[in-house]
Amino acid sequence: MRVLVAEDEPALARQLQQALQAAGFAVDVAGDGIDAEYLGRELPFDAVVLDLGLPGKDGLSVLRAWRAAGSAVPVLVLTARGSWQEKVLGIDAGADDYLGKPFQMEELVARLRALVRRSSGLASPVLTLGAVRLDTRSCTLEVEGRPVALTAHEYRVLAYLMHQRGRVVARAELSEHLYAQDADRDSNTLDVFIARLRRKLPPGFIATVRGLGWRIDEAAA
Amino acid sequence: MIRADSLRRRLLLAAALWIALGLAAVGVLLVLLFRQHVEQELAERARVQLDALIAGLAVEPPSADAAAPPHLRLQREPPDPAFRQPLGGLYWLVQGDGALLRSRSWWDTLPEPALAARWSTLDAGATGRFGATGPGDQPLLLWARRVELAGLDAPVVVAVGSDVTRLRSLTRSYALTVGSALGVLALVLWGASWLQVRSGLAPLGRLQLALQRLRGGQAQRIEGRYPAEVQPLVADLNAVLDDNERLVRQAREQSGNLAHALKTPLAVIGNAVTHWPGEDGALVRAQLALLQRQVELHLVRARAAARALDSTPGAAAGTPVSPVLEDLLRVLERLYAARQLRFERQLPPQALRVAMASDTLHDLLGNLLDNACKWARGRVRVCARVEGEPGAAALAAIEIHDDGPGIAPEQREAALQRGQRLDERQPGSGLGLAIADELVRLHGGTLALEGSELGGLLVRVCLPVR
Repeated sequence: MRVLVAEDEPALARQLQQALQAAGFAVDVAGDGIDAEYLGRELPFDAVVLDLGLPGKDGLSVLRAWRAAGSAVPVLVLTARGSWQEKVLGIDAGADDYLGKPFQMEELVARLRALVRRSSGLASPVLTLGAVRLDTRSCTLEVEGRPVALTAHEYRVLAYLMHQRGRVVARAELSEHLYAQDADRDSNTLDVFIARLRRKLPPGFIATVRGLGWRIDEAAA
Repeated sequence: MIRADSLRRRLLLAAALWIALGLAAVGVLLVLLFRQHVEQELAERARVQLDALIAGLAVEPPSADAAAPPHLRLQREPPDPAFRQPLGGLYWLVQGDGALLRSRSWWDTLPEPALAARWSTLDAGATGRFGATGPGDQPLLLWARRVELAGLDAPVVVAVGSDVTRLRSLTRSYALTVGSALGVLALVLWGASWLQVRSGLAPLGRLQLALQRLRGGQAQRIEGRYPAEVQPLVADLNAVLDDNERLVRQAREQSGNLAHALKTPLAVIGNAVTHWPGEDGALVRAQLALLQRQVELHLVRARAAARALDSTPGAAAGTPVSPVLEDLLRVLERLYAARQLRFERQLPPQALRVAMASDTLHDLLGNLLDNACKWARGRVRVCARVEGEPGAAALAAIEIHDDGPGIAPEQREAALQRGQRLDERQPGSGLGLAIADELVRLHGGTLALEGSELGGLLVRVCLPVR
């Protein structure tokens, strides 16, 4: 899952980045409204944390620009103001959730996960498919009731594929959603992660669609 | 009731004093002048009568037997009949050496002997004025002249007198007339000065009313034109008011900005110390929570106070309830989409407005609805309607129900105390209900916590209708 953090206060941006990375997200950071609008329009994020008080271009304008361009990315708005009239404006501009500063990082992560799930049509924070049970809160995997250890990268690959269940995920798309802009991308490493995951999962859980990518079937296992 | 140190009292007392003193002096002067005038008339008449008397006097030469000295005789009596009528009010008298001629009006009375001594001091040919008691105890004024007649050794005193009872009664009645006229004049003058003081001080009264309206919050400045003497005062007052309002507005804006500016650093610190172990960590987190609460509290206060200062026409016109509730429900449906809460609504007609600024109403109902959503198991209900007869006394009753755990009746009062949080599990500053209560009361409404028919809490807010 790839998240854009649009926050101009560097300390808070760094904290958000660290917390979201720890929660298994790939994180890009934009420090002003103009960068934020550009990144959000050009890159396939799974969610955005948007501060309303951005320099350059304010958060609401950025959000309206994304929605006008047809983007449906879930957006969590972060604001110091927090009056209800502002919330109405934010929601009407296309925000999906709202969090006033100061906030608890756990709450932000939980809400962001919920936004990502909702945009995939999933209700529970625990993604279950047959014998496979992936808990997005603790980033843990259980297969047939037994815990299975996952590295951070393995978790990200599996979580993205499970959020996109029933759909073919292309190699480029998977790569885009797993790595932040500045990350070192080697598409061969994806094959390595998929191979490792397949050893930990029931056989045939991740299907290869030749020439297109990978898919986890709803009816798998 | 006029206070002892009032300007009006001072001015009216001064006016009464100078009117009384002035008119009394005028009255005394007028009476004196009148008496003088009448006396002059009398003196003039007496002079004429004296002249006539003296002209009528004849000295009979001593008779042939020489035993009798020369004696006086009045050849012609003055023509006024009052001289011949006993106690007639007019008297004449001629006193010579051993001789005494007098008018019939003296009747059987003689002039008091002391008179002779008094007019013996008169110079020859001079006329003197003497008071005396006449027949029947009439008070008399006598004019006497000492003349030397040929043929007589000793000078003769000729006197004419008149009863001054009439003069006195005339003077008295004149004084009475003048006194009552002056009294009426005094009343009129005092009334006029009362009117003058009233109209002179009226701008001050208006100013006081304007200040009352100002303090009551119905006005922001002192409006209207005042006389040239008061206008500078009004202008200065308005300048002070403007300065004051600007300062207060600045202070509130600054405190609001400060609160906002603190929020991001607070978020950073809060996140940094979340996993700080040990007692120190707990201490920092507790203090940080305190800090956050204070920031939130002052922000809300600054916002509410700034609105109280708001004099835009919109603030006076009130805010329609239904659009605000629709706004908020739209937001909450989105925010609580994951919970799949059911929002039930019975909204009032669009025209229903309450006496509260739009952003305050948003905050008030937003916080209450948010609270309901946090605690609800699955349902939140909003009802709003008008209670009481239409007109000034009508109230808009807005009820917010949830089907959550509710608040036990004995804890409801505590829930409205500032900073109280009945449950620390739900995020929030703990100011929600207390602030809502404060806001509602500031706007002349009431907030009550009750049990809801849905099983949870019912918050009933009543606000004056605009």
